[in-house]
Amino acid sequence: MSFRKRNIGLSTGGDRTASVNASAGLQQATSTAAAAAAPETTPGVRPSPDDGRPTTSTGTPSLDNILAGHGGLPIGKTLLVEENGTTDFAGALLRYYAAEGVVQDHRVHVVGMPEQWGRSLPGLIGPADAVDDKQDKRKGERMKIAWRYERLGEFGAGIAGSRATSGDQSQPTADGSPDKRPAFCHAFDLTKRLTHPSITNLNYIPLTPSKEPLFTTIHKRLDAAIASSPPNTVHRIVIPSLLNPTIYPFESSQPDSVLPFLHSLRALLNTPGVRATAMITIPLSLFPRASGLVRWMELISDGVIELCPFPHSADALATSGAATSHEEPPQGMLKTHRLPVLHERGGGSDQNVGQDWAFTLSRRRFEIKPFSLPPAEGDKEGQDGAVSGNMPKKADLEF
Amino acid sequence: MPTQPPLPPLLAPYVSSLPPSSLIVLSTVLGAQGNWLTLRYLYAALNASLTSDAALSFGEGHNRKKQKVVLVSFLRGWEFWRAEAKRLGLDLARLTDKRQFAFVDGLSELFAGPRTTPTPSTPQTTTQTTPPSLAPSPRGGPVPQRTILPNRSAPSPIPARGPAVAAPAPFAPVAPSAPPAAPASREVGPVKRLHLSGKGPAALDRLEKDIAAVVGHLNGRAAASAEGEDDSEVLLVLDQPDLLLAATGPGKEIGATEMTEWVMGLQQYVHATVMTLAADLPLIHNASAAGHQMPTPLETEHAAFAIGSAHRAHLVMQLRDLDTGAARDVSGVLRVSKGGAWGQSDNTDANGNWEEKEALYFVQRDGGVNVFGRGE
Repeated sequence: MSFRKRNIGLSTGGDRTASVNASAGLQQATSTAAAAAAPETTPGVRPSPDDGRPTTSTGTPSLDNILAGHGGLPIGKTLLVEENGTTDFAGALLRYYAAEGVVQDHRVHVVGMPEQWGRSLPGLIGPADAVDDKQDKRKGERMKIAWRYERLGEFGAGIAGSRATSGDQSQPTADGSPDKRPAFCHAFDLTKRLTHPSITNLNYIPLTPSKEPLFTTIHKRLDAAIASSPPNTVHRIVIPSLLNPTIYPFESSQPDSVLPFLHSLRALLNTPGVRATAMITIPLSLFPRASGLVRWMELISDGVIELCPFPHSADALATSGAATSHEEPPQGMLKTHRLPVLHERGGGSDQNVGQDWAFTLSRRRFEIKPFSLPPAEGDKEGQDGAVSGNMPKKADLEF
Repeated sequence: MPTQPPLPPLLAPYVSSLPPSSLIVLSTVLGAQGNWLTLRYLYAALNASLTSDAALSFGEGHNRKKQKVVLVSFLRGWEFWRAEAKRLGLDLARLTDKRQFAFVDGLSELFAGPRTTPTPSTPQTTTQTTPPSLAPSPRGGPVPQRTILPNRSAPSPIPARGPAVAAPAPFAPVAPSAPPAAPASREVGPVKRLHLSGKGPAALDRLEKDIAAVVGHLNGRAAASAEGEDDSEVLLVLDQPDLLLAATGPGKEIGATEMTEWVMGLQQYVHATVMTLAADLPLIHNASAAGHQMPTPLETEHAAFAIGSAHRAHLVMQLRDLDTGAARDVSGVLRVSKGGAWGQSDNTDANGNWEEKEALYFVQRDGGVNVFGRGE
């Protein structure tokens, strides 16, 4: 009884009522699964506001928010991050993801990177919403009626981190001491280095040549590492720059080598009892999306996002793309080709589908926000004129 | 937009009453996955109340046979299908128990083989291997109980029923290639797991044998249940078998020809076959000569398999993204077109219900689907 989630009715007749009320039946099924797989006490795991399945944070609040309303990456799903060009924005996303895992005491497995990579994880600032001024403002304006919905995330933006906000509401200590409820997502500083007791727990899986095919070795080591850990551990599998020829041997980019690996990885994540997520990055300049191989990698992954950084020549455009001078100019476009769970079901009903996203990487955060086109370039003098006071006076406008 | 029944009226003629020995190809793309449509096929075949309705409305009430379904999924696990079918009101675990449905798992162990886990030190694996009746014995606090909870609905028939314990016995002689004891003891219900080993057609033959064993198992049960044979027809649903082709390739001597023969071989065992294939642009068009770079073997073989299958199919259901970009109230476009084998079947009354059309569809949050014409 004590393992039952509070918001479930007492009736266990899910099977009987299922035909009458299919969605209620599902709700029960998924939330019992969620309750089973994700006790509320696990740090860094919370039920999705959409359907209650356990999710974990990617370490980037705004990325959590675009993942089809789940407020995070659902457990058991893979996210493929593709990047055009020679920049390493995807690497920053991966570092946040790994650092979030370290801070939450998740087991982080890093494939194909030296320990140097783990030492360069960004330093912890604090819970994500503590950094955000807007969140603070919202805290003051909070409507008291909606307290029980608030923990499920805010409508529209800001799903991630709302759990933490509700946490300190439940503990209204006057001196504002940090609450006991753990934060779901943290903010990190790319210029600092993460120092955390559990950072030594990173599991590095080097690419060592052996008699077996490379990916078979990786899969076996991942499998063994996950199997040998305590059952409730949450795992994060980090695979930076998959197939990059400076890391991976040439033959690994053959379809019959990498696709079985991704398939087995998917199988591993879907194994009952295993609680893991994976994030993979791939350089699109070397493996274009127009190739059949990459398309199959996308088909096997649960979520696919593509980063298209603006070239440097577009700096002017980028600057003017910021709506106000206070906002940082976007550094590139982000395309969501596939979102976990949503597209598997058939897709389409998410409010964020079809949005144009732009991303900005600053020292402290990777922010994804809707992209808006800048004003037409040719209209410079018109704008300047407006600023320099050629606007008609108020008196002229009155009738 | 009003809510439509689980089987939208526009869709109903295409998913129910499939002609004998027909092949239906569902082609999907990255942004428009066909799982909802696959589920509609399951629903049409397995939902008893619906089959009688459909028989009435299409005026072919003559001896409608009981349908059974074998679902072979290469990209999605049992948990996904069970949860999604539940949203439609189909209890796959119960149907499995009633021998109306069988799931063949092509995800878990296709390439990796059985998990190398059984280290008895961790309570997690021990609880998984023991039958649920014994599960509470390793008292490791609440933790082991939680880990087995998701499995609960599926394995329950094993200890609960008398005859089900004897199930592996008739099952084993049909599938001599399968190790009989190992899967039965650690399976989530009577789920068969495929494992690809070896090379070329021989490896595919082994998979075919495994699937045929499951089909035979369903059929055999029906025949033994007193009504005599031919009282049920089995629908085989192959979910993305093209993964096999993509992930093996010429290195393993599996090409489009071998795959086509494999599917044809499977068709022999069943009444009708539904197959989902990826038809993304790079997978189909890179192979053509118009491409400005050399197609890779993956692309040529996939295109050959997909196009060849479409030519052999009676009906091709294409799903694709909306041409004008994503929208909030449209998930994608469904195009129904005639396959190469259109009209070749003897049973023409089913073909009479089929006409080529294009419609939009929208998958709602609750799993319901609306299929509607443009502008409706």
